[in-house]
Amino acid sequence: MNNEFEWRSQIKKLGESVEPANDLWSGIAARIALEQARPAAAQRRWSRAVAAIAATFVIATGASLMALRVDRSVPPSSVPASTTQPAVATTPADAAPTAFDWAQPSDPKLAAAAHDLDQAGADLQAALDAHPDAVFLVSMINRTNSQRMRLMRQSAISG
Amino acid sequence: MDSATLSMNIPLFEAAPARVAELDSDTALVRRAVAGEMRAFEQLYRKHVGRVHGAILRIVGMDRARAEELTQEAFVRAWQKLGTFRGDSAFSTWLHRLGVNIALMDLRVRREEDAVDGETLEHAAGGEVPFCAAERGDLQRAVAELPPRARAVLVLHDVEGWKHEEIANELGMAVGSSKAQLHRARGLLRRALGEVAA
Repeated sequence: MNNEFEWRSQIKKLGESVEPANDLWSGIAARIALEQARPAAAQRRWSRAVAAIAATFVIATGASLMALRVDRSVPPSSVPASTTQPAVATTPADAAPTAFDWAQPSDPKLAAAAHDLDQAGADLQAALDAHPDAVFLVSMINRTNSQRMRLMRQSAISG
Repeated sequence: MDSATLSMNIPLFEAAPARVAELDSDTALVRRAVAGEMRAFEQLYRKHVGRVHGAILRIVGMDRARAEELTQEAFVRAWQKLGTFRGDSAFSTWLHRLGVNIALMDLRVRREEDAVDGETLEHAAGGEVPFCAAERGDLQRAVAELPPRARAVLVLHDVEGWKHEEIANELGMAVGSSKAQLHRARGLLRRALGEVAA
């Protein structure tokens, strides 16, 4: 290749298509399928967590209002000493009572609120299992447990 | 529009019917793929994989395993970005560019230091050694053995027909550096081919 023109035309020919030795399609399709599945699953988990958080706020507000009304009608000295409840969790590893551990109130209104709180707690726990680094979920679980505890106290007071 | 204008326009539309049909077929396939039809995307893959893989293969210095890996990556990325394809250029151009960018990104990540000693660079810079007749295989091997960045610049400029401004932009270097790398790559090639012929 003694002249520039010849060399250029020869090097230009290197630009031809080269089929890969292996069929790459199956690998590509598998990766795309994986990518499509991953965000959908993550979104489902987060949707549940967000719904649980929202539910917790609504229930907590309702339970607080209910508790406030009962507090005003019953003297503090009448609260039974036996209604001691588990400590609030500080880490996910702490053994906070699960929905199955909490006693159910006899008052139908309180029982419905307790059921919703238990459901929210279970959803939050599932979200935390999926995202152990989400510290805010721990505080949400603690708040839910705290509200559940108050609900039990009010249930014991109202008899 | 009068009949004279019409008669002038018709040949323009008839100039490359095969090309227009090809573009149309790509556009239709892209549209179906964006709607989630994997079969359409597979057709696009089968149609264009050779060109994308060829470009990547040359940039990575004929490392076949690496080229296949990057080609796969390019098509996965293409699927993800398919919604952003506006049709300003042909799909084949868009895809080819994406594949080249994946290979260049790999080059940047690896950032292999050009392992060329001073003596070789000196020879390369001179460029006195004339190009000698070389078999296609020899030329391909010589290009593959160039230092990574010099090879990338040579492949993009001389083989793929990119401008120095585009190369500089994609490789994150000054336009002058791209020109210097090309000069260096050609010098190294001259030397390598001279040795082959000798």
